[in-house]
Amino acid sequence: MTNNTLLLTTPSEHEAEAASNSYLMSLVAFIAGLPLPIINLIATFIFYLGNRKGTYFVRWHCTQALLSQVSMLFINSFGFWWTISILFSDEQISNRYIAYMVVAFLYNLAEFIATIYTAIATRKGKHVSWWFFGDVTNLVCKPV
Amino acid sequence: MIKKIILQATLAICVFFGLWFLLSKIDWLTTLNVKETTKKTEEKLGDIFWDVFKNKDVEVQDSTVKAIVDSLTIRICESNNIKREKLKVHILENNEVNAFALPDGHLVVFTGLIRKADNHQELCGVLAHEIAHIELNHIMKKLIKEAGVSVLISITTGETGGQVIKETAGMLSSSAYDRALEKEADLKAVDYLLNAAIDPQHFAEFLFKMAQNDSSTSDYLTWLSTHPHAEDRAAYLSDYNQNNPKNFTPVIKENTWQKLKTSLED
Repeated sequence: MTNNTLLLTTPSEHEAEAASNSYLMSLVAFIAGLPLPIINLIATFIFYLGNRKGTYFVRWHCTQALLSQVSMLFINSFGFWWTISILFSDEQISNRYIAYMVVAFLYNLAEFIATIYTAIATRKGKHVSWWFFGDVTNLVCKPV
Repeated sequence: MIKKIILQATLAICVFFGLWFLLSKIDWLTTLNVKETTKKTEEKLGDIFWDVFKNKDVEVQDSTVKAIVDSLTIRICESNNIKREKLKVHILENNEVNAFALPDGHLVVFTGLIRKADNHQELCGVLAHEIAHIELNHIMKKLIKEAGVSVLISITTGETGGQVIKETAGMLSSSAYDRALEKEADLKAVDYLLNAAIDPQHFAEFLFKMAQNDSSTSDYLTWLSTHPHAEDRAAYLSDYNQNNPKNFTPVIKENTWQKLKTSLED
């Protein structure tokens, strides 16, 4: 899911910490925000707002973290409301529901592992560009 | 760049839906014993709720009454490929005009309702309606909607007090289903009656009669109050029935019906 691209300049200690924190923020919010999937998006968005005037390295990683959270929001929200409808309405548990939850779990797991890996790598000053999200980030986040 | 992103997004979406589709082909409900667990929960809930009513009212043990009601139930079941042994029909001594279904196929009929019926076809209509609720899984749907899964689980695990069990059981016997579920059960009941060669018009007339008598004996007409809009229902049942002309045969003889009524008077 990830590939490494070297930056032209090595980020400072402060930049590496801020970039790494953008991923940690989504992880902490993920644990604290369960089962409401919107919580980690809000937490990452607030962190993004706080760093949108930071250096390119920090902005880039905050944006990548935010974009990954947006995509997970769609998957998790659908699963969340489907579960609510099973618990509180006449919707029944079905093979389709369980299959969806398995796929959602796998996507969340992949995102979770990638987030931990990237948080560690960026803390060391390494630039990690994710498959798909890295390209979208390049499109929306430009150097000043 | 944009082309690459679109391609990647398409691929990610296709992998997601493809994986979902493939995993949907696995019979998770059987693999994870979901059906078995649901069945056991229903059985337990059915027994717990039945105990509430059994302890409140006396169950009719008269073999004549039980045999006659059973004859009516068997005719409906056999004509509609419903396993008779799946149903647990109970007749309770109570003056309320009421009949209701509990989880796991418990079907409770109060003697007040049998006394109120003018002929056995009317009673068949009510039985068919309650059997339809059971067959269409309306009881568990209602319980989950009204009480919630957590309450139901705590009832089955014995973590809930008797008061909550009584209130939940009372909700099943004295509150209405959704109007859509009622109509679905009504129309299913008409199908059951037609398949059993019982004239559904009597069921419609029973509803109409109950609606007419509502003001004078409302305290006892629980079945009517839990099945509102009786006149509307009688009307659409009649309409539905008109499209299904059929030859009807009585399930029991008139003197057998009178014997049932007499047994209940004693």
